Amino acid sequence: MAHDKLQPQTVLYCGVCGLPPEFCEFGPDFEKCKPWLIKNAPGAYPELTKKAADEAEAKLGDLRLGGEDGADGEASTSKPEDEIVKKLPGGKVKRKEKQEILVEKATRNKRKAITTVKGMELFGVKLGDASKKFGKKFASGSSVVKGPTEKEQIDVQGDFLYDICEFITETWKEIPESAIYVMEDGKRKVPYADA
Amino acid sequence: MFKKFTHEEVSGQNQVKSSVQRKIRQSIADQYPLLEPVLDDLLPKKEPLIVAKCQNHLNLVVINNVPLFFNIRDGPYMPTLRLLHQYPTVMKRVRVDRGAIKFVLSGANIMCPGLTSKGGALEDEVDAEQPVAIHAEGKELALAIGMTKMSTGDIAKINKGIGVDNIHYLNDGLWKTLHLD
Repeated sequence: MAHDKLQPQTVLYCGVCGLPPEFCEFGPDFEKCKPWLIKNAPGAYPELTKKAADEAEAKLGDLRLGGEDGADGEASTSKPEDEIVKKLPGGKVKRKEKQEILVEKATRNKRKAITTVKGMELFGVKLGDASKKFGKKFASGSSVVKGPTEKEQIDVQGDFLYDICEFITETWKEIPESAIYVMEDGKRKVPYADA
Repeated sequence: MFKKFTHEEVSGQNQVKSSVQRKIRQSIADQYPLLEPVLDDLLPKKEPLIVAKCQNHLNLVVINNVPLFFNIRDGPYMPTLRLLHQYPTVMKRVRVDRGAIKFVLSGANIMCPGLTSKGGALEDEVDAEQPVAIHAEGKELALAIGMTKMSTGDIAKINKGIGVDNIHYLNDGLWKTLHLD
C-alpha cells in the first residue's frame, strides 16, 4: 500500500440533503431525497428503486412509465417548502403597545456582546435602579441608554441573554415570565417562557 | 461537538508560520501513516495553510477555504468526514449496528452495546482516547468520527456506557460548512 499512492475516492452526495446516498434514509427528509436517488444513485437503494417503481405502478396503474411520473412529482413537492420559509419573518408590529420586556443580544467586536433590555419602565421599574442591580448581579458595566425613538433602555455588557430573564422574574415579582421576549442577534423574537 | 457549528464560531483565522505548518503536517502524518503519501496533495506546500480558531478550543486546518482537519485542545488531528470519505482507509474504524445510526446522526455518543451487538464490530484494535471512524452496519462510508473513551478490549469487556465520543457526524455543523471565508 505504501508505494501505491492512495487515490482519493470520489464520493457522490445527495443533491437534496447533501448526505451520501446510503445515509439519505436517516437524513432530514428521506421522502424528498427519493426522487433524486432514483435518478442519480440507483445503486444505493436497489430496494428503493424497485419499491418506488412498484409504488408508482400501484398508484397510477400505469406500467413502465413510472420513472417519468416520479420526476413530475418531484417538481411539485419541492414548491410548498419554499412558501413555508417565506412566512416566518414579520409579525413584529403589533406587540409594541403591550406591556412587555424585550431582551436583546447584540454582538460587538466578535466575542463581546451587549445585552439590551427594553421596556422595563412599562412595569414601573426605575431604570436607574434596575441597571444598578444588573451591574451588581452580573459584575459588569450596565447603564441606562437612550435608545432609538427616545426610549430608554438598559445596556449590560456581556452575554446574559437567558440569565437576565431569570434575574428579572426573580427580582421584580410583578413582571410575569410571559411578558419577557428574547431576541438573539436580531434573528427572531421568542417568548422567554418557551426558550 | 459540531452540532451547531457555524461561521460565527470562528473567532479568528490565521495563516500559520511554516514551523507550525510542519508540525501540523508531521502530527497528521504520525497519526495517519497511510495519509502521508498524499499529504502533499492535501496540504500543498505552496498554498497558505490557515488555522481557524473557534470556540471550545477547536482548531480547523483550512486550505483554500476548505476545512480539512480539526483538533480539539491540541488533541490529535482528525480529518473532516468529507475528507475521510475520499480516503476511507486511513482511520481505524469501528462499526455500529443499524439501530444506532439514527442516534449517531443526531449527535449521540456511541454506547458500547451498539458496537458489540451482532451488527456492530470492532475491526481494529484501538486504545482509549484515539480518533476512530465510525461506520455502520450495511453502509460503506463512515457516518461519524469519534474519540474512543476506552480501548476496544474494554469496550468488549465492559460493554456498558459510552464507548466512543461522537465528535463529528454526517449533517452536523461542520459537515455543512463547505467553505470558510
